[in-house]
Amino acid sequence: MIKINDLNFGYTKKDLLFKNLSMQLKAGHIYGLLGKNGAGKSSLLKNLAGLVYAHSGSIEVMGFDPAKRQPSLLKQICFIPEEFHLPSVKIDAYVKANAPFYPDFDHQYLNDLLSEFDIPVAQKLVNMSYGQKKKLIIAFGLATQAKLIIMDEPTNGLDIPSKAQFRKIMAAALTEDRCIIISTHQVRDLDNLIDTVIMLDENAVALKASIEEITSKLCFKRMTELDETVIYAEPSLSGYNAVTPNYHHEDSKLDMELLFNAMLTEKNKLKTVFN
Amino acid sequence: MNNTFNIQRFSMLLKRQWLEFGKIYLITLGVAFGVIATFYMVAIWPSFQEMPSYDIRLNFREPLFLIFGFLFISVIASSYFAHFGQKAKTVIDLLIPASTFEKFLAAIFFTAILAVVSYVVIFYLTDLGFITKLRTTYSSLATSTSFNDSRGKFTMVRDNYDYFFSANKMNLYPQLYAIPLFVTAVFLLGSIYFNKFHYIKTAISVMIFSGIWTYIVMNSIDFLTRGRHNKQDFMFSNGPDKDLALWLVALFISVLTVIFWVITYVRLKEKEV
Repeated sequence: MIKINDLNFGYTKKDLLFKNLSMQLKAGHIYGLLGKNGAGKSSLLKNLAGLVYAHSGSIEVMGFDPAKRQPSLLKQICFIPEEFHLPSVKIDAYVKANAPFYPDFDHQYLNDLLSEFDIPVAQKLVNMSYGQKKKLIIAFGLATQAKLIIMDEPTNGLDIPSKAQFRKIMAAALTEDRCIIISTHQVRDLDNLIDTVIMLDENAVALKASIEEITSKLCFKRMTELDETVIYAEPSLSGYNAVTPNYHHEDSKLDMELLFNAMLTEKNKLKTVFN
Repeated sequence: MNNTFNIQRFSMLLKRQWLEFGKIYLITLGVAFGVIATFYMVAIWPSFQEMPSYDIRLNFREPLFLIFGFLFISVIASSYFAHFGQKAKTVIDLLIPASTFEKFLAAIFFTAILAVVSYVVIFYLTDLGFITKLRTTYSSLATSTSFNDSRGKFTMVRDNYDYFFSANKMNLYPQLYAIPLFVTAVFLLGSIYFNKFHYIKTAISVMIFSGIWTYIVMNSIDFLTRGRHNKQDFMFSNGPDKDLALWLVALFISVLTVIFWVITYVRLKEKEV
């Protein structure tokens, strides 16, 4: 669905954010895009949506060049930005003005999502809280039935019950012909949701692997004492939370925060494991 | 699916834009009506008195139409893309499934067509209302009215509305009809070119450019015709070539308008978040 080849991008020509970045993303997956502040998560998403232009290289989304902003592609993209503005109208008016652009828009699904998110439909959008607005644009975006769903920090501003609802809704929204990319720095919000992790660091993709692949190669466990096999460990109340190579094919649950920190501090060790 | 222009998609885009821009537009139009009506109210207030005064002056109409018209259309044009200076507002607008060309055409529709036409209509209707009121107040003195129209022709009418329409059937300087489009084109470009203080920055830019332009043109004329022609003749020419000169000015303004629109389109196409 998405092919990125030798992408060079930066906000200034001297200081590139991505150098020769290449990657392929397929339909039927929920990708979690992780990285430090300033690693380029939002910029990569903007490149995919055609909101910024690369210096060189190519991006192909469903056969289109997103930089051309063609309606045929735009109607297949649902982009949930971190910062957004909604007009001072009621939900009905907003939907009436925007839904016709999406030929497969599902009004019933939108109503179901709005009631699930408990959004007051009679209220004007400007009078809603940030979290309510965010839930509304998530619900609207999913109802467009777009094939590519891009979300930049979607759980920012959501309360705890809404985060759980969000995970449930997103898991249900995944279909074989849909690709969902979620960027966040709150990695715990993506627990049990994503099936592939993409980590950005130092102008490139530091890791791109499925949860299965990660847990088959790495083991996430609690240890009372550290040994030489440990790649990375963090002290905890009952000892250490550690990442080790999975030599004995143990079953363990991916701790994304631990993996993320391990990638930042022990990048070379992890690269060896994955290569 | 045509990715450049589709009439159905374009009409959907106009409806969508109206949702947000319509509010700014209607408020500005309301203010315009208020200002115009205030001028007329102040001027014809004596006619509402018990003993109507005959000393009513309406010589503010043309300057009001021109000056306030300029302000109205330039404010509307300057606010159309102004929100593109804010990231939060730009993302959703750029990702609406319509082509850049359609988004540009919608901008032209709202700023160059709707704003100009609605201003003329609101001015016309306000003028019609107040002038009719005046004619009603004073017509009891005579069953018919005679006057010299704009071309000096003696005219006599029985209907007060005829007076109004006849008196305004002037068709002077049709070449200058391109000016409103030019003004909206300049301020529309300013609204997408600058990220903040669009109106002020556009106005200052226009002043600087027109100052430099005037300086260059006047000095060039002076240099090319030194000792052979009086520079003042060019400025106040009323000779046989006056119409040709005006048409050339109209052509020049039209070309500049198209150039500004093209630059606006390119800026819109290249807009990044």
